[in-house]
Amino acid sequence: MLPLRPVCGGIWRAAVHTVRMSRGAPPYRLFSSTCDGAPAALADADTIFALSSGHGRCGVAVVRVSGPASATALRCMAGFTQRLPPPRTALLRSITDPRSTEVLDRGLVLWFPGSVPGLRPAEAGEFTRRAFQAGKLGLTEVEGLGDLIHAETEAQRRQALRQMSGELGRLYQDWSDRLKRCLAHVEAFIDFSEDELIEDGVLNRVDVSVSDLQAEIERHLKDERRGERLRSGVQVVIAGATNAGKSSLLNKLCQRPAAIVSPIAGTTRDVVETALDLGGFPVLLSDTAGLRDSSDLVEREGVRRARERVEQADLTLVVVDSAHLPSEVDRAAAFLREHLRSVLPDTDRCLLVLNKADLLPEKQRQKLDTELRGVSGLPAVRLISCQTNEGLKAFLTVLHSSVKTLCGDPLFGAPTLTQARHRAHLQRCAAALAQYQRYRDTDLALAAEGVRLAVTSLGRITGRVGAEEILDIIFKDFCIGK
Amino acid sequence: MLRKKLPFLHSLLSPVSRHVGHLTGHQYDVIVVGGGHAGTEAAAAAARVGAETLLITQKIHTIGALSCNPSLGGVGKGQLVKEVDALDGLCGRAGDWAGIHFSILNRRKGPAVWGPRAQLDRQRYRDFIQSELLSTPRLTMVEGSVEELLVTEPNPEEPGHHRVTGIRLANGSHAISARSVVLTTGTFLSGSLFVGQTTSPGGRIGDAPSSAGLSHTLRERLGLRTGRLRTGTPPRIVKDSVDLSLAKLHLPDSHPTPFSFLNTHTHCKPEEQLPCYLTFTTPGVERVVRESLQLNCHIQQDTKGPRYCPSIESRVLRFPGRSHQVWLEPEGVTSDLLYPQGLSMTMPPDIQLRLIREIPPMRRAEIHTPGYGVQYDFVCPTQLSPALQVKSTQGLFLAGQINGTTGYEEAAAQGLWAGANAARSALSMPTVTLSRTESYIGVLIDDLVSRGVTEPYRMFTSRAEFRTSLRPDNADLRLTPKGFEEVGCVSSVRYQESLRVRNSLQDALTALQALFLSTSSWKKKLPSVPISETKSTLLTGLDLLQYNDVTFEMLASAFPESLSSFMEFAQRLKIEAVYKPHCDLNKKEIERIQREENMSLPQDIDYFSLPVSLSDEVREILDRVRPSTLGAATRLEGITPAAVVNLLNYVRVTEKKKETHRNQRQQEAQRDEELCANSASLPQ
Repeated sequence: MLPLRPVCGGIWRAAVHTVRMSRGAPPYRLFSSTCDGAPAALADADTIFALSSGHGRCGVAVVRVSGPASATALRCMAGFTQRLPPPRTALLRSITDPRSTEVLDRGLVLWFPGSVPGLRPAEAGEFTRRAFQAGKLGLTEVEGLGDLIHAETEAQRRQALRQMSGELGRLYQDWSDRLKRCLAHVEAFIDFSEDELIEDGVLNRVDVSVSDLQAEIERHLKDERRGERLRSGVQVVIAGATNAGKSSLLNKLCQRPAAIVSPIAGTTRDVVETALDLGGFPVLLSDTAGLRDSSDLVEREGVRRARERVEQADLTLVVVDSAHLPSEVDRAAAFLREHLRSVLPDTDRCLLVLNKADLLPEKQRQKLDTELRGVSGLPAVRLISCQTNEGLKAFLTVLHSSVKTLCGDPLFGAPTLTQARHRAHLQRCAAALAQYQRYRDTDLALAAEGVRLAVTSLGRITGRVGAEEILDIIFKDFCIGK
Repeated sequence: MLRKKLPFLHSLLSPVSRHVGHLTGHQYDVIVVGGGHAGTEAAAAAARVGAETLLITQKIHTIGALSCNPSLGGVGKGQLVKEVDALDGLCGRAGDWAGIHFSILNRRKGPAVWGPRAQLDRQRYRDFIQSELLSTPRLTMVEGSVEELLVTEPNPEEPGHHRVTGIRLANGSHAISARSVVLTTGTFLSGSLFVGQTTSPGGRIGDAPSSAGLSHTLRERLGLRTGRLRTGTPPRIVKDSVDLSLAKLHLPDSHPTPFSFLNTHTHCKPEEQLPCYLTFTTPGVERVVRESLQLNCHIQQDTKGPRYCPSIESRVLRFPGRSHQVWLEPEGVTSDLLYPQGLSMTMPPDIQLRLIREIPPMRRAEIHTPGYGVQYDFVCPTQLSPALQVKSTQGLFLAGQINGTTGYEEAAAQGLWAGANAARSALSMPTVTLSRTESYIGVLIDDLVSRGVTEPYRMFTSRAEFRTSLRPDNADLRLTPKGFEEVGCVSSVRYQESLRVRNSLQDALTALQALFLSTSSWKKKLPSVPISETKSTLLTGLDLLQYNDVTFEMLASAFPESLSSFMEFAQRLKIEAVYKPHCDLNKKEIERIQREENMSLPQDIDYFSLPVSLSDEVREILDRVRPSTLGAATRLEGITPAAVVNLLNYVRVTEKKKETHRNQRQQEAQRDEELCANSASLPQ
């Protein structure tokens, strides 16, 4: 059956856009070996799908399905049992789960016809790749495309980094390491056991590892089904020097005392996270330890975590204590530029928040507020006071529009989809480990093929594993002497 | 098919080949330098393709010599031998002629990783190779030492690009011209030998060192990057001085399996095979190694040696306190020597004797020839195209250890491919490539030219992504038709045989699939097989053959009318049936890779100025390696998916441009012709 369902029940928000290609190219050309004499894209006979628009509560969502099973998907999910809809015509349909026939949503369906069948989530850049292989992108489009793909992978890299750095990342990495070792030991047994001294016990240990791994992965897949907390939403991180009022800002934004606030510098030592709904957009707000050199081990770890968060953030709010600003505007701008450099690698995605504005004389406050806005090399600047709430409303407007821009960016990855892709790879990994067990006693080459497939599937999440890496483990663990 | 008699060689050899004077001024299509595994396969392949070929070697009588271990094949290596044979190479048939102990390694681990292997009689192997070369049309052999590689001045339009024109021999400055030259110099390129604290120039004990001129041309004239590698060989032991009763007897297979697809049996009769013996090192061995370290130059040097064929010194130093395996192997039917596999060593000869006497069966052993180490130059193989041609020098091909590999089989495989391509290039035919999706030879060459080497490269089955498809049993199906139709290195006899096999297998599979019975009917036909009736109610013969306990013989006796004519292929059919579902799964991935490999990247791209979005790091990697196809580029370390997509696009756009350009030129040519024709028909 079509493995479409687990993506996430609610994303079929407004429109299902069943299309084989963007830009309305006649899809039959994609899979035709005769097109332009191009090497046929025939072997890409998988059908892929992806959320092509912004994620989460972004109002309108577009889901793109491409490949020979697109028509089947339409039939099963949009109720076109008799015949397919007229091509290139939008129709309002109920979108149903093909197995339970439960209605998921209602939406517009557009059909760009093609021909004939399994679906899987698209790999990074795959739509673009198919477009290239089909020769469907013209010269003018190509100019901009390099940047587009770069942005796409860049967004994905940031996202992967975010997902990989947490507990989940450590778990996957641990599985990957154990699997690689299993593979190396099976490969060593195949390539060297006849002539070298490789004890028979090696395979028995692999047996144990493989069945442990299989059980762990299957358990993990089940847990996730029940709805493990998804780390979705725009990642907004509050960063800056100690005692600038970062925690106060967090508390103001979430309208509750989520973080401890005190006049003592270095009060926040770990990352404090809180989920927010900002005008309909999901935001994960993190308060971090103040950035300073400290001899305190705990605080130093806090600062390291803070920097890591900033690195992964979609948007950083750099908070500065206004009282520390030089009074002249020019010197204040230079001070801020310098300060930003110490906090962030690049200033593309950040807002500058000058807190404790109530401590400044009224005159200086106004001067800063008006004159700092036009200064080049500085991001958007807002003066606020968490004490008096002054400027907070205006700041919220700026923050809201930044988040909105981020969500509206179609290249901004959809965490849920990434999760679906992860799940598909993990399922494939567990199935491949079952193959090892099936062939373990009859054909070790086929059993090893199972472990290879498992490594490849997991590698789609944790990074590709080459033959050389496996050989390195072999030569580290065994004395291969012939 | 085995040749029963070998001609008396030396009487044949001396008149035709010892004098080189008459060769001067002669134009050959291909000159092969070196007579080892790579050189002999290269020369034979070039001649088979149709090139007038000259093989130059220092000593005619060492052509086909096994310099190191007296064995061929093994896990991974056996696959290479089968593939070389499928392409009509020599080593498989030579192994069948010279083998004195045959066994299929990994017999219990599945047919995809079976490792056909044989201990060889050194003399018989050499005889076979020499006789085969002598009877090869278009092939001449000559004794000599190559002093210089002759190349044209660099092309002013393409700086650094040369074309090969021939070679010059030492002692007498004979120049012999050729369109292609294949260098298979083994360990002789700036080779030096090490025993204890003594070092002498040379590539193999007992042979003169090769001239420094060749090395110089490669490095200085052609600007090729070279590196240095080391290897070693064990002492040869006098058989009578060893007490073999203290070692474990290791018997060959009772039914020897030939390497060659053309042979149904081996030259050696099953009962005439010789055994091998297994023994182990003792703590005394480790003590001797440690005590003699300061007397051991070779081991102190940090030149890269292989991790998988280490000397006994590095074995005990890296894994101390263990007992290591030592195989005692026969050197031939009439030889009175034993080859101690696993005891490669470079300490002074008196200490070598002390060391081997620490091993129980060799307590009173005598050494016939001491072990020694060799260090030699290799040319970084990323400078080669997948045809094994030096990218910057038209007509220059390299094969074997000069490319950083180790092993007879790796050398033979490259030799064959380089020789065939050298011939094609000389005869103005396009060069050909083998994909890593269709052969181990393809894996070997792709690894070499796109990744390079950091240690001597040896084949393992773990290097092949599509191991379940690239099996020793189906090498003929994979390569023989291509070898005949596209390469031209396969005789029509072998080609016809491969077609017969292919058609028969196909017919047999069809017949198996046509047997479509319910599980209960199958149970009646094959009562001994545990067929689960809960499974789908109808099963084909092919489904049944996938069962562990079902053999083709069983099916054939149940359905003699449709199957008995295929009994010859019983084992192959069983393997085909078991692997079919997995190979079908591989197919899609294979097609994807082949598509990418079909997109070639021009060799003259200036990656630094390419008008596409690539990071500086990626540009640098691409510039250094210059992958020949998009597929090779995707396998490079540090190449991002985005870079691959950009390159893909570049390839497509330039292809389109070229095509448009070609069309335009054709149209212009047509117009010109028409104009000429019109003017010709005009009344004068």
